[in-house]
Amino acid sequence: MISAWTRKSLLAGLATATALGMAACGGGATGSGDGGIADTITIAQVQDQTGAVAYAGVGAKEGAELAIEEINEQGFLGDGVTIELEEYDTAGEIERASSEMNKAMADQNVSAILGPTQSQQAATVAPLVERMKVPTVFTQAGAEGVVINDWTFRATPPMETYYEPVLDQLEAEGAKDIAILYNATFPTFALLGEDDIPAMTEERGMDIVQSLPVQMTTQDFASQAQQIADEDPDALIMLLIAPQSVTALGQLEDAGYDGAIRATSVQAAGNISEAGDDANGLIYPVPYSTAMDTESSVAFTEAFRKKFDKEPNPYNADGYDAMWWIARAIEASGDSSREGIREGLVQIAEEGYDGAMGEVTFEGNDARVEGVLVEWQNGKERLVE
Amino acid sequence: MQDVLNAATLGSIYLLFALGMALVWGTIGILNFAHGATFMFSAFIGHLVTQRVELPMLVIVAIAVAVGAAMSALTQLLAFQPILRRAKSQHAAEMRILIGGIGIAAIPLAIAQRETRSSPFGFQSTYSAEVMEIFGLRITTTGMIIVLCGLGIGIGLTVWLRQSRRGLALRAIGVDPETTAGMGVNRPALAFGTMAVAGGLAGLAGALLTFQLGAIAPETGDQLLIKAFAIIVLGGLGSMAGTVLGAYILAGAESFVLEMNWGTWVDAVSFGLIFLILLVRPQGLLGRKEVRRT
Repeated sequence: MISAWTRKSLLAGLATATALGMAACGGGATGSGDGGIADTITIAQVQDQTGAVAYAGVGAKEGAELAIEEINEQGFLGDGVTIELEEYDTAGEIERASSEMNKAMADQNVSAILGPTQSQQAATVAPLVERMKVPTVFTQAGAEGVVINDWTFRATPPMETYYEPVLDQLEAEGAKDIAILYNATFPTFALLGEDDIPAMTEERGMDIVQSLPVQMTTQDFASQAQQIADEDPDALIMLLIAPQSVTALGQLEDAGYDGAIRATSVQAAGNISEAGDDANGLIYPVPYSTAMDTESSVAFTEAFRKKFDKEPNPYNADGYDAMWWIARAIEASGDSSREGIREGLVQIAEEGYDGAMGEVTFEGNDARVEGVLVEWQNGKERLVE
Repeated sequence: MQDVLNAATLGSIYLLFALGMALVWGTIGILNFAHGATFMFSAFIGHLVTQRVELPMLVIVAIAVAVGAAMSALTQLLAFQPILRRAKSQHAAEMRILIGGIGIAAIPLAIAQRETRSSPFGFQSTYSAEVMEIFGLRITTTGMIIVLCGLGIGIGLTVWLRQSRRGLALRAIGVDPETTAGMGVNRPALAFGTMAVAGGLAGLAGALLTFQLGAIAPETGDQLLIKAFAIIVLGGLGSMAGTVLGAYILAGAESFVLEMNWGTWVDAVSFGLIFLILLVRPQGLLGRKEVRRT
């Protein structure tokens, strides 16, 4: 194990050294900031295509492909100007993310990067992209420490920024006692479960009567389900990854808990379907759903169905919006160099845009959406009023 | 009492998974790191089949057991046996077998991850678990099946290894494979059969755990592998009774930590406890000092 780790570290170090060396030597047109739009613009997607959360990277790739098809067919960036997507698989590993990012950054044909979807990976590479001066748009990666400099951008709003409607809805239903079951080793859920939700409940006069942290490796929830059933809170906020939530829902039912359960967008994309009837009535906020009826969301949903013959999910929407953001940035700055794209991304962020996720605004380089609440019922999402 | 019953169910989950691994490691000396992948892929095949046709629980379990046995037997035939044949001794082959197991495990894992995009998968079955209440204690029918299977197979294997001639031969291989082969024991055939049985047990565990948990992910087997490894070492390598005991001790420790609401300390406390026990008894709770494996 030590030798494998050492080898990976050496490879990552070599890749960094190569990248820094190439940058020091000057670089090609994309890095020069000379202005103008190249005939072919290469965007690197450095995200998980395999590994435990491959669904996020693969989903983003499909969304990005749809966006590229539209951009190229419309001649959005000018006649004959095309965008190409180059894939780099981070395979769910932080060290692999670092080395793949270095490879992509070292390639002077790469104008911008779609950065890793996992927060730990994204936070690791965020300082590198500033050093190498490559505009990097992250999708997902909702934790702190990702959007930290002028070269880092995020197209997916962090979960806590659209979680308020969950608490509003519970308040409207008269819920007072709230339990939280959360994966404390998942940065986004730890932040939400330990800081954001307690603050939101306090604002609304609700009480957190239980706060049950679990690990990423927790697979059986019988004990926690029993504790929750014994406490019988008005509502349970469940912040778990996809397989954990399927098990927890079944075991909560088995333990006799029949209160309201609220979850997160991780349960979207059909990730909860294996829970069957146990998932009926589950409500969670999402930045995008096929049930959304804003014009730009509907257009994306229909286009995606037509291209892929399946239902789009929030990860598809991430990739789609991120790629269109980059295209708009190039058009706005009239410059497909790395510096030109960075300037364009900032400009578009100031203006906002309508995308798959509806109206997208920004706080700095970080996307914000209102999001919607959806209820899972018999294998489908429907909007909660 | 409900907590004790929950711990017993969790212990039985761990036990079902660990039994096959303990059997091959404690007897034919193979630490099979592909056991987790066999467990997962058996359930994954069950999942693929039930996507096309809804099946009863018994049929799904039978499919998973068959897939697990076939996978494990093939692993022995195509990977471990050639490694053993080329090595000067069993001891020399151990590290290569370990690495070989990790390499083999990567293949079904990659296939399942690719097919499912690492989303959880379960079964479409005509079986649905019922919740039973016995003296005020709640347990599902699946939980009951797991407890009975875990204990039944654990005790059955213990007795078989102790009392049957083949069990004796297997234990002898665990102590000194070269001498045992010299005394006329057909080691390759026994090893092949043992691996097939262990794979079948992995398949059984995969199917039952998928029913119990509702769904598993492609990585679920890897997470259980570490726990099984700890259970076997804690119980004492070569002792099936020790594996049974180790599984329930680990589950009991984890349940206690969860009951105290120290959820993020589950692994630290549980594995810390195992470490302390091993400081006092390095050979494990029921292991013998003379049986030594890496």
